[in-house]
Amino acid sequence: MPSPPALASVLDEASLQRLHELDPQGVNRVVERVLRAFETSLTRLLPQAAQAQADGDHEALRHVVHTLKSSSASVGALELSRCCSEIENRLRLAQTDDLAGRLKCLALEGGRVLAAVRALLPD
Amino acid sequence: MTPALPLADELAAKPPEVLLVDDDEVNLLLTAVALRERGFHITESGGGEHALQLLADWAPDIIVLDAMMPGLDGFATCRRLRAMPGYENVPVLMLTGLDDDASITRAYQAGATDFFVKANQWSLLAGRLQYLLRASRTRMELERSQAKLARAQDLARMGSFDWRRVGAAGSGGSLMLSAQGLRVLGHGPGDPVSLRAILRLVQRGERRSVLRLLQGVAQHSSVLATDVPVSLPDGRQRIIHVEAEPEFNEHGHGVGYTGIVQDVTDRRVAEDRIRHLANFDSLTGLPNRRQLVWRMERAIEHARRLGHPCAFLMIDLDRFKIVNDTLGHAAGDELLMEVAQRLRACVRHSEQVMEGALEAVGSRAHRSLEAVGRLGGDEFIALLPEINDERDAQRVADRILEVMRDPVLVGGQECFVTASVGIAIFPRDGASVADLMRNSDVAMFSVKSQGKDASAIYSPLLVGRGREKLELESALHKAIERDELVLHYQPKVDVRSARMVGAEALMRWQRGGTLVPPGDFIPLAEESGLILPLSEWALREAARQARLWKNSFGFTDAIAVNLPSRVFERTQLVEQLHQNAMAFGIPHRMVQLEITETGLMKELQSVIPALLQLKDINVEVAIDDFGTGYSSLAYLTTLPIAELKIDRSFVRDLGVTPQSSGIVTAIIAVARSLNLRVIGEGVETLRQMEVLHRLGCSLMQGFLFSRPIPPDDLELWLKQTVLPRRAPWIGQADELDLGDPTPRMAGGRPY
Repeated sequence: MPSPPALASVLDEASLQRLHELDPQGVNRVVERVLRAFETSLTRLLPQAAQAQADGDHEALRHVVHTLKSSSASVGALELSRCCSEIENRLRLAQTDDLAGRLKCLALEGGRVLAAVRALLPD
Repeated sequence: MTPALPLADELAAKPPEVLLVDDDEVNLLLTAVALRERGFHITESGGGEHALQLLADWAPDIIVLDAMMPGLDGFATCRRLRAMPGYENVPVLMLTGLDDDASITRAYQAGATDFFVKANQWSLLAGRLQYLLRASRTRMELERSQAKLARAQDLARMGSFDWRRVGAAGSGGSLMLSAQGLRVLGHGPGDPVSLRAILRLVQRGERRSVLRLLQGVAQHSSVLATDVPVSLPDGRQRIIHVEAEPEFNEHGHGVGYTGIVQDVTDRRVAEDRIRHLANFDSLTGLPNRRQLVWRMERAIEHARRLGHPCAFLMIDLDRFKIVNDTLGHAAGDELLMEVAQRLRACVRHSEQVMEGALEAVGSRAHRSLEAVGRLGGDEFIALLPEINDERDAQRVADRILEVMRDPVLVGGQECFVTASVGIAIFPRDGASVADLMRNSDVAMFSVKSQGKDASAIYSPLLVGRGREKLELESALHKAIERDELVLHYQPKVDVRSARMVGAEALMRWQRGGTLVPPGDFIPLAEESGLILPLSEWALREAARQARLWKNSFGFTDAIAVNLPSRVFERTQLVEQLHQNAMAFGIPHRMVQLEITETGLMKELQSVIPALLQLKDINVEVAIDDFGTGYSSLAYLTTLPIAELKIDRSFVRDLGVTPQSSGIVTAIIAVARSLNLRVIGEGVETLRQMEVLHRLGCSLMQGFLFSRPIPPDDLELWLKQTVLPRRAPWIGQADELDLGDPTPRMAGGRPY
């Protein structure tokens, strides 16, 4: 699968490659299905994170970042995964003072990843 | 990373069913794809609730749960499914985040089998799944085999135990018993037990020695194997086999024991029973021949070593065969049991021999050899392992004779059974069991031949003097069983009509190839008492023959059997005659009895009741050898007698000396006046026949007509001599037209 140079910084090439290896011949269109699932998930979870933030619902927020943390790592959105991991850790340790900055990062990086994924998916 | 999948074969056979539960579609999809790639059959579920629904009617081999899920999370799902029947042991793998120690702990608490940190390392995940599946299979096999073992142990009434030395001083260490082990000891599964409590189950008398044994074993860390009699809590008495091996720690110190307990009561009972059957007579419970010989060998050994005498008493019942034959085997058995009881009381009878102590010097254990045993039939032996001299043995013999004289109640009837006892003493009368048994037998037979109901001590003279006789008697003893006895028949004829009117049965003994003449064994049989069974046999045989002749040529007269007076004294005689008549379907009168004049007059008083009874059942009695004894004519008139037989000595002299014809004339006159039949015996010549007939006696018996012959020959004689009227005496008889008809002459066909 061709990967535009612009995406390189958003989605990790090696991670995508590993995805590709799951279905080398593309018979099961695994990469496409995974990316589409991720896109759906991201489209649903990002607004949920924003809403949880607005509501001050840390439990809901924690669930969103926990889920995103592993799925984003799976598709190579390493920055987003790291960002989710930090938020999850802070929530677990109840260090909520510096949460706003991290959440802004989540929204920003989330948007970039979503765009990159969409760019990879066939119309 | 190389996947460690040695179970490729198993996968190929049937892909493991995996339920994969994750709320994150991306992860769910990726994990599913990766695992399918590796041969698993994946069913995906997006959450705990949905997963539990699936599990309601489908059972995967393994369940993979994401820990963090909205709604029912992994922990709650795991807890729920563990509560579902059939899911207690299904492997559950919990997926947790990295560094999430809390979740790992919670996963185990929720009942997860293992955890796995979420990552994209699919081969590791697949390997972990394989490992869990294999462990699960192993576990199932183990459970199956444990169940099988438990079942086998139950069947074998066996259980295991484990004992550790640790524990407070005096507590007896710590004891663990399997459920089966508890059951063997009469406890329920889970009942608390301690070594001390178990030891209290041991039967009181054994407790001390068991404890000593356990202490000794534990002290030396040796192997334990013993049988312990116990009284279980419910009161059952059982024998428990305990077998255990010591266990050692790394320093070589014994730390405890592992072993089994097994209820071996049934086996022990069976073993004891076998041992008992092999050594004891099943009817009387006394030691049998084998056990006796064993005891005798020990006794001789001991006596030789310590230089004291010991004695064997051979005891044979005198009238046992009569009881057995007349009252039946059940009564015979009853008699033997009673006799056994009595004999047992005559010695210090020991049921068990203190075998271990026999060898000990100065021990009195050999006294436990003392016993009465049954050799077989009506033969018993008393073993006295230590006596001072023969007077001790004689005393015991006297006691035995004494107790035997009391009547025995058998089958509601009083029986009088006496014993003959022969004594042989070691070392004087023999050095081996065989010698001593033979010599006590010789002594016993000498008692038998001298009238029984007494004892005799063996002496070499007994052998020299009476060996032949003893042998003869011993052989005669067995003659009946061996079918060596036969009856020959001498016809009685009525010379007027030239007909056979009856026959006299005479006993013959075919011993080996030779025919023993009656004179050689009848006196011996009389002397030894064997005449009784011999007579009984003759009566039965005569009845049988009467029946055969009745069938073959219409015989309707009587066969006469000679009986000694002592048989007439026996109350069973009438009953026996009746039984014989019934058994062969003949009228009672077809068997007739003959008693000698001397015998009759000697025992007149005791014979009269029998004569009266015999008359009641129509059995006729003839007085044999009439004229030789001293008959009281007064008695003759009252006795229920049917026939007089003129003694052969008078017949022989007929026509030679005038006195003889005088006597014969007188006898015939007496018979006629008393309305008795009269018959002449020993008729050998035509002349004798002629004279007898002229004097008024037409019934005769003797060589002139026929010798005593086998029954088949008699039939032949009838067919070839009497019917064709070919014999010289028939022609002669035809010419005779003298004398009066003999009174009450038996009418009949000319056969």
